[in-house]
Amino acid sequence: MTSDTPARRRARVFARRAGAPSRVRRRLGAAVRMLAALALAGGVYTAFTPGAFAEDNVQLSAAAQEGKAIYDTSCISCHGRDGQGVTERGPSLIGVGSASVEFQVGTGRMPMARQEGQAEQKPPQFDDAQTEQLAQYVQEIGGGPELPAGTLVEDLESNPDALARGGELFRVNCTSCHGFGGGGGALSSGKYAPSLGASTPEQLYAAMLTGPQNMPVFGDNQLTPEQKKQIITYITLQLQEDKDPGGLFNLGRYGPSTEGVAIFLVGITLLVFTSLWIAGKS
Amino acid sequence: MKRRKMDLAEAPKTFAKGVDDRFQAATPLRGLLNKVFPDHWSFLLGEIALFSFVVLLGTGIFLTLFFDPSMKEVAYDGEYLGLRGTMMSAAYESSLHISFEVRGGLFMRQMHHWAALLFMASIIVHMARVFFTGAFRKPREINWVIGVILFLLGFFAGFTGYSLPDDGLSGTGLRIASAIMLTLPVIGTWLSAAIFDGEFPGHVIIGRFYIAHVLLIPGLLLALIAAHLGIVFKQKHTQWPGPLRTNTNVVGERMFPRYAMKQGGFFMAVFGVIALMAGVFQINPIWLFGPYRAAEVSSASQPDFYVMFMDGLVRLMPNWQIYFGNYSLPPMFWPAVVGLGALFTLPMAYPWLEARKLKDYRTHNLLQRPRDNPERVGIGMMALTFFVIATISGGNDVIADKFHISLNAMTWAGRIGLVILPPLAYYISVRICLGLQQHDRQVLAHGVETGIIKRLPNGKFVEIHQPLGPVDEHGHPIPLEYAGWTVPKKMNRIGALAPAVKGFFFPVEKPAEAPVSPAVGGTTKREEIKSGR
Amino acid sequence: MTAVDHGETGTPVDVNDPHLTRFDIVKEGLRRDDIEIVTYESHFHGPNSKAEKRIVRNISFLFLLSGVLTLAFLVFYIAWPWKWELGHQLSDYYTPILGVTLGLGLLSLGFAILAWAKKLLPHELSIQQRHGEPSSDDERLIAGQTMLYVADELGVQRRPLLKGAIALGMAPLGLAIGAPVIGGLIQNPHKDEEPMMYRTGFNPAGNGGKPVRLTREDGSPIRPDDVSAGGQMTVYPGIPHGATNEHADSPTLLIHLRADDAATTRAAADGDKNGRNKGSMWGNYVAYSKICTHAGCPASLYEQQTNRLLCPCHQSQFLITDNAQPVFGPATRRLPMLPLTVDEEGFFVAASDFKDTVGPDFWERP
Repeated sequence: MTSDTPARRRARVFARRAGAPSRVRRRLGAAVRMLAALALAGGVYTAFTPGAFAEDNVQLSAAAQEGKAIYDTSCISCHGRDGQGVTERGPSLIGVGSASVEFQVGTGRMPMARQEGQAEQKPPQFDDAQTEQLAQYVQEIGGGPELPAGTLVEDLESNPDALARGGELFRVNCTSCHGFGGGGGALSSGKYAPSLGASTPEQLYAAMLTGPQNMPVFGDNQLTPEQKKQIITYITLQLQEDKDPGGLFNLGRYGPSTEGVAIFLVGITLLVFTSLWIAGKS
Repeated sequence: MKRRKMDLAEAPKTFAKGVDDRFQAATPLRGLLNKVFPDHWSFLLGEIALFSFVVLLGTGIFLTLFFDPSMKEVAYDGEYLGLRGTMMSAAYESSLHISFEVRGGLFMRQMHHWAALLFMASIIVHMARVFFTGAFRKPREINWVIGVILFLLGFFAGFTGYSLPDDGLSGTGLRIASAIMLTLPVIGTWLSAAIFDGEFPGHVIIGRFYIAHVLLIPGLLLALIAAHLGIVFKQKHTQWPGPLRTNTNVVGERMFPRYAMKQGGFFMAVFGVIALMAGVFQINPIWLFGPYRAAEVSSASQPDFYVMFMDGLVRLMPNWQIYFGNYSLPPMFWPAVVGLGALFTLPMAYPWLEARKLKDYRTHNLLQRPRDNPERVGIGMMALTFFVIATISGGNDVIADKFHISLNAMTWAGRIGLVILPPLAYYISVRICLGLQQHDRQVLAHGVETGIIKRLPNGKFVEIHQPLGPVDEHGHPIPLEYAGWTVPKKMNRIGALAPAVKGFFFPVEKPAEAPVSPAVGGTTKREEIKSGR
Repeated sequence: MTAVDHGETGTPVDVNDPHLTRFDIVKEGLRRDDIEIVTYESHFHGPNSKAEKRIVRNISFLFLLSGVLTLAFLVFYIAWPWKWELGHQLSDYYTPILGVTLGLGLLSLGFAILAWAKKLLPHELSIQQRHGEPSSDDERLIAGQTMLYVADELGVQRRPLLKGAIALGMAPLGLAIGAPVIGGLIQNPHKDEEPMMYRTGFNPAGNGGKPVRLTREDGSPIRPDDVSAGGQMTVYPGIPHGATNEHADSPTLLIHLRADDAATTRAAADGDKNGRNKGSMWGNYVAYSKICTHAGCPASLYEQQTNRLLCPCHQSQFLITDNAQPVFGPATRRLPMLPLTVDEEGFFVAASDFKDTVGPDFWERP
């Protein structure tokens, strides 16, 4: 891989953004709804006026053309015409690949509600079909990493080792930020690694492949597709689906901090009330 | 020779006689049966610690039956699929074995861990009770010191136990412990090398911690707990001031049967709460942490809550390194070594410091209401605030993450808070104490506010106060002396302090007389009790 | 008998008097222990009152409930599937069921006993005199004089030679007992043949003088292509047991920087004040020790956009583009940089060991 990748350019813009003064991450519901409404209006408009922009890129596939229509209403203001990027607003999308789109749009991080240090996960604005169309469009204009076809979770019947190997890789590569339990963790100055509790295998794969925001990139040379699948197997089967055997509540798997809160809020409180009753007059 | 017939009915008597012949037990036994204990809910907090220690011993013995304190590398092939084939130490493997292949083993492990947290938490609460009520004053200074040492021992028992499974989280804790040893001037590297038998982590630390955790520290704990209780027994428990209660008596109930039954029932309750928590809340899921690897770490790496204050202080410490020529003192030395040392030695010295300051060398068997010594409350609140901020800072990354606060801002908030809030807590609690004192005096002087407003002939409105004691010829209450007792402040609570009227026996005090000074309370004639029921 | 004044010890009774009730004898015991029962009353009006029966019923219910729950604990302990299985299984409820049945069983037992003591037993108020007076002056004098007499008997004071001889004769014993304890534990951390504080697995001396390869956890070597730009990889020395805790100070973070970040980093490394980091980068790759210079945790939270490394234990933050200097938190020292190069087969090797001391700081660190 050369050093001058589009991902680098993207990072440059993000890096500048991280230094922006406002880091308040509270969701601005109104802005989101506004954007959603605009996107919907634009989508409806393009749906009824097909081919309005079709002459420019005759080589696009049908799906990509649909994607372009969405792009031109929802993404173009920051990422520029044909994904060229807009200085100070959005990075170029040339070479980021469909995997990146599937992650960013599929988790609702894109479109962003506003310019801020870290794009917040929120309910996605586009359905799966639209996301795929967008991804197809971005793939066709610039290329880049793509999600592999087929299932991303190993079958433990045929490959029982996948879980443990995935766990080992998870602990070497992922826990430092996302935590042993996959609950996420804080990074410097208000940035954070999100929880993996609700991530789909596709999102996990895309995130490793493209390194969204401050997450490092785990290219296919570093973690082979097979290893990525093992990690995904561990996250989905062990961390997400396996019920904790040690109790009805796992205290968020945050470790000693929530356990310490629990011993005071539950243990000491119950026993203090008991002793109040024991020594009470009634 | 006549053959003696065995008389079963006489057997207990014969047995008791035999015991007394040999051990002269009758008189001490009577003393024990009759010993009077004062009753107050706050006197039961220390019991929580005692009872959780009993649970700790029981569950701990169970765990030793399966635990292998060895750092030999083995490949896991147990039930837990997520680690199968992973290389790990035998200690970690046997901890997994307890969790997954010993029936009920996970439950026992979790009980042990929750009991440990409850042990430490109740020690803290108990210490706060003793401190704020002045129960540490002469003649109980030594027992206070023993209590502080018990906390320190609990701290080390907890840390060594937490390290034993040799999982990813506890290994990180060990690494930090080694780094703390390294910060000691001159001997740091030697100390760490001695304890870890060379370079960290070495091959012996789990074995050494194991023997400390199951023999040395519990032995010391057991001995000191025995001494702690023995001294309480010998010196007799303190009591709150109140009617009939003086510095030279104990007012309460006899140890048998009622008090002892309450203790037994409370033990069951403590045990029950531990078992309930062990079943309902998962604690320390070591299978998720993986074996300890020097390269692996998790976000939100924390010690158990009672060590968190130290971790928090280390997090908040600015990066000030002191250089002495070619040598240097790392900043972690201050919070981890000096901080920990001060946090344990200053409380130990406090009873003598306070006695010296107040020039009070008398024996105190009556507790003090916290408000009656605002200075002490202020100091205690200052220390507690410091401890709480440090503890919270020990988990500041979790707070930053879950409440969407900048991590750096949390650190700075902790640094500033640690300097500003304790003095503020001192000031506020002293003022609150003085305010409460003043209100007590006001009620004693003027009576209880009734909420009834009276209009005087001249048009003035006044609130009627119900006097607590006798009144003068104008109907104004004669101001009462403050006796260190609770002062009733609501109309309907007047009289509540006196014993109930109903029952087999005549009341010993008239109900309305409740809030009077001890001089009045002690001299009333009482009818003798004719029979026990 | 007549009323007894509070504070008096009362009159003794003859406990062998056949007319005395059992309670009279108990009271005589109390009198001897200086205890006075002030109130002693039942909670109920008369025996077998309605309220009493209700409470007895409730307490009996609690005892029975405890028995049922504890039995349930036993049944579940034996019969419930308990072997862990992946996924959401019945066995996941084994521990909760044990906890809930045993916990509630113990709590009901506890509350049954407590309610019995509290509600059924008569409420009493007793006063016992403390007798906490110190020993009399005479007693103190006698004890003190006795101790002094013992010292006199020993006569050490009068025989100075003995005093010196005892001191000199017994001190070595103390030392002799202490020596094995201390001596057995002592390890020289600065042994010349293996200076553990200053040498990591990347030192060629541990590899027969050859430069040590950077490897993955499984021991496979790494080509520059293997790490994407904006990516990082935890690497270990390519020697036997290089990735185990035998070499706990060796884990290193290999980072592939983007071109302009790499330029900044290279400028900073080449302009390094003490020159140690000069020329340590290879291309756009830089490798820093993963072991935090503060407390030794892996400082491995790599933020690829802001180029920071964060340590999760105490939140020290290091700036990758500036020789990994600490920019926030308690760390005072930068992360050591591993001099990188590529061998003839195209795999990363360490050109030499770390030039700064790896790991937490200590007193005599050069």
